[in-house]
Amino acid sequence: MKRWLPALAMGGFLAVAALTAVVVLRPGPEPSAAERADVLARGLRCPDCQGLSVADSPTSSAQEIRRQIDELVAGGATDDEVHAHFVARYGQWILLAPTSPAAWIIPIAVVIAGAAVLGAWLLSRRRADPAPPSALTAAQRPRPPDEVEALDA
Amino acid sequence: MRGLRWLIVPLLVIPLGWLLFSGFGRDPREISSPLIGRAAPAWTLTSLDGETLSSEDLAGRPYVVNFWASWCIPACVDEHPVLAAAHEQYTDEVAIVGVLYNDASADAEGFLARYGDAGYPHLVDTDGRLAIEFGVTGPPETFFVDADGILRARQFGPLTDPLMSVHLSTILPSASR
Amino acid sequence: MIPSIGHASILVGLGLTVYAAVAFVLAARGGDSRLSVSARRAVIGSFVAAAVGCAAMVISLLTHDFGVRYVAENNATTTPPFIGVISLWAALEGSILFWALLATGWASLVLHRYRDRYRQLMPWAGATLATINAFFFAVMVWPGNPFALTSPVGAEGTGPNALLQNHPFMALHPPLLYLGYTGLAVPFAFGIAALATRRLDEEWLRVVRRWTLVPWTFLTLGIVAGAWWSYEVLGWGGYWAWDPVENAALLPWLTATAFIHSAMVAERRGGLKIWTSALVIATFVLTLVGTFLTRSGIVASVHSFTQSAIGPWFLAAILVALAGSLTLLVWRLPGLIGGGRPSGTVSRESAFLLNNVLFLGLTFAVLFGTLLPLLVAATSGDTISVGAPWFNTVTVPIFVALLFLMGVGPALPWGTASWATMRERFTIPLILAVTVTAAALALGLRDAASLGTLGLAVLVGAVMVDEVVRGARSRARSRREDPATATWRLATRNRRRYGGYAVHLGVLVMAVAVAISSGLAIDRTVTLAPGETASIGGYEVRHEQLVVEALASDRRVIETRAEVTYTGPQSGSLRTALRDYPNSQAAIATPAVRTSLAEDLYVTLLASDQATGAVTLHLFVNPLVVWIWIGGAIVGGGAVFAIWPERRARRVAVEHPQRVPAEPSVEGA
Repeated sequence: MKRWLPALAMGGFLAVAALTAVVVLRPGPEPSAAERADVLARGLRCPDCQGLSVADSPTSSAQEIRRQIDELVAGGATDDEVHAHFVARYGQWILLAPTSPAAWIIPIAVVIAGAAVLGAWLLSRRRADPAPPSALTAAQRPRPPDEVEALDA
Repeated sequence: MRGLRWLIVPLLVIPLGWLLFSGFGRDPREISSPLIGRAAPAWTLTSLDGETLSSEDLAGRPYVVNFWASWCIPACVDEHPVLAAAHEQYTDEVAIVGVLYNDASADAEGFLARYGDAGYPHLVDTDGRLAIEFGVTGPPETFFVDADGILRARQFGPLTDPLMSVHLSTILPSASR
Repeated sequence: MIPSIGHASILVGLGLTVYAAVAFVLAARGGDSRLSVSARRAVIGSFVAAAVGCAAMVISLLTHDFGVRYVAENNATTTPPFIGVISLWAALEGSILFWALLATGWASLVLHRYRDRYRQLMPWAGATLATINAFFFAVMVWPGNPFALTSPVGAEGTGPNALLQNHPFMALHPPLLYLGYTGLAVPFAFGIAALATRRLDEEWLRVVRRWTLVPWTFLTLGIVAGAWWSYEVLGWGGYWAWDPVENAALLPWLTATAFIHSAMVAERRGGLKIWTSALVIATFVLTLVGTFLTRSGIVASVHSFTQSAIGPWFLAAILVALAGSLTLLVWRLPGLIGGGRPSGTVSRESAFLLNNVLFLGLTFAVLFGTLLPLLVAATSGDTISVGAPWFNTVTVPIFVALLFLMGVGPALPWGTASWATMRERFTIPLILAVTVTAAALALGLRDAASLGTLGLAVLVGAVMVDEVVRGARSRARSRREDPATATWRLATRNRRRYGGYAVHLGVLVMAVAVAISSGLAIDRTVTLAPGETASIGGYEVRHEQLVVEALASDRRVIETRAEVTYTGPQSGSLRTALRDYPNSQAAIATPAVRTSLAEDLYVTLLASDQATGAVTLHLFVNPLVVWIWIGGAIVGGGAVFAIWPERRARRVAVEHPQRVPAEPSVEGA
């Protein structure tokens, strides 16, 4: 392996990642009314379906809510005001994602905690582990050589 | 400290059991209404008979708004006589108003012809706007508004005579069975 | 008479499984092998009883015996025979009967296969399986009797649920799923047996390897089939809605996948005993939780069977199973501790363990999201929703991390990975991934998720291809075989590894297809009079006419059908309809899907005006959707390849012709 190839790969990766981030995260043009309405419709629950958003649902109540969203957006309402309009009628249930930050933080925290515990376990100094039980583990049993394993560095 | 490990069992089992058990007896589709205790939505709609009716006409009187549909079987069929009986018993004290939910007028009239027309008006909710104002998720749902225009109670699902009594008592101090 | 035979067979099944459970426990404690034999025969007898019960129900359905309440509620004189047969699992009581058939089938199979082996483990495994099956028979005897009679006997039945009649996949999705669910009781039973007998070394892991992979394969195919059915039938253009019952099927799949991976580490390096035992317990308990959520009526779902008295029974089963297995685990805890720490911080073992952390994180997230509304309602009385936006935001990052790990993990060696190894393995794939992503960016692809998934897919794919090519090249050189033969021979002698590659490849294909079909799908809603055209994504769609008529196959069903022609990358005609079933409030949509390798044209009828013949259509162009199903098939195929038995004796002899086999072949499942 040529010496500079890995460095090139890493550098290329970082460059593309940065470029992608810039292109994707750059504040784009203001979303149009139709786009805003679409995003809002995807976040509101269809009242007489099983868990679908009003964007996906064919029912007449979903269509009416989409009409109301369009009217509200055209009338200058912010996203929060549109949400508040429907929450006043249906309660928090009409929003497809919970607003409380705890609902978002808890699962992420659990994953991070799990990874941290794993990391700590891997990195901590090894105490003498108790002797393994009498039977040899699969690794310790004599095995025919495996030519694929032989490839492992 | 060795005994502490046994705590894992009740610590995992009891909360899980409590959580899953708590769901019994509750209808998962019933949502809590944020309108209770607040002013009921205002409305102006046309009835099946062609007359225009508005919430202002009912100001000062308690009234009941019942969302139903001809395709809502058997729930709306079951509660139909309950509403008719209440209308007859409390004709002068409470106004009852029916509202069609996602239904065609012809089908609704067929339903009334078959199951009886108690005589109170049925409004045609074109576009379903009123249903959204009241936060209705599907028929039957019934709302009880007192004489000051404050929404006091909501019935999710079909009404029965005892339930009707209970809800009417929130808008009619003198209601008794 | 047939219903009575059916009912009797259920009673017999209950008796046999209770006897088997008791006999197995006695045999385990006393060592009497005759009790074991008798118990095993009783389990096989319970399978026969379940089969008789299913046959009785199918006959009742086919003969439209409306004296049986289940038949009256799920069948009608106009129901076609095929639908009649699959109605066996269409509703609550029948589905439990079908479940009992499969569960007793698995138990009989495993007990028969190991009748002369693992003499310490088998009685306890048998007792566990028999107890589980006894529970299902008990549910059928008391709260959920499939052969309950109804009177007076009507002349006509309600007919099957409308949604179930629309698509042949109803024949496929539940059986695959149930085979997965019921099969996952077997590794659980062996885990319990290992804990009970204190045989806590890797023996039970070796035994359950195939007995986990086979149900896992069925569960995977069942979930994919469910998504495919949902896409083809429900008409909203999507395939996964994070519905509570969909989540219920996913949860045991996640823990089972985690178990498969950590079992590999434990088998090779020892240790991880607490972890693997806990995983196998969690998998089984989650299958019960899934069944409970579907049947108890405590969550609203597309799938919900009606709320019934069965709920409390399943809740009791969940709590007893969880409490019992946890108690056993805690009791044996001293013997389980120790070992298993990987020697290298960056190694295949640590990659597998990180994989487990992520899978368990996913499990927690999905469980949390599914149960949160229940928790909020129980504590504050408020109703909230946790829907697709929340699930997608929380789970997609974890899936992406898993995708990355899936490429990196198998390329790392066991033990410590050196910097040199990593450079060698990952440099070229990284360059390739970077190039492809840059090219896609330059060509105009701006959707972040699609770009990221594409780049990851190239990275992972290149690493995998590199692995396979290396192995084939080395073997081809040393044996003078051509590359194709070398690869095939290598694959068939290392089925687990190469099957694993194929499974990962399938997952990769599915991941890219999901990312691109979600990110780049376009849709619009149009109202067209006859003769009018609308365009979407390169297609011109023209509404020809509106037809209203009864279905030929079931004359009680009225179909309102839009006949449409389309031109573009594909051309042709299609029909999309709304069907009015007599026992359903809302009309059932039958969308039309025209599939090509590149994209799907998907058309749903929303509304129609019979007076003018105008229709309101929802049009979609969904790119790459078919690759999700193809990817699923690759996963299934890879799993089958991995499970397929290797020719053991030959394996040792051919590689070292002079060497006498050093040991008897490792006993495989």
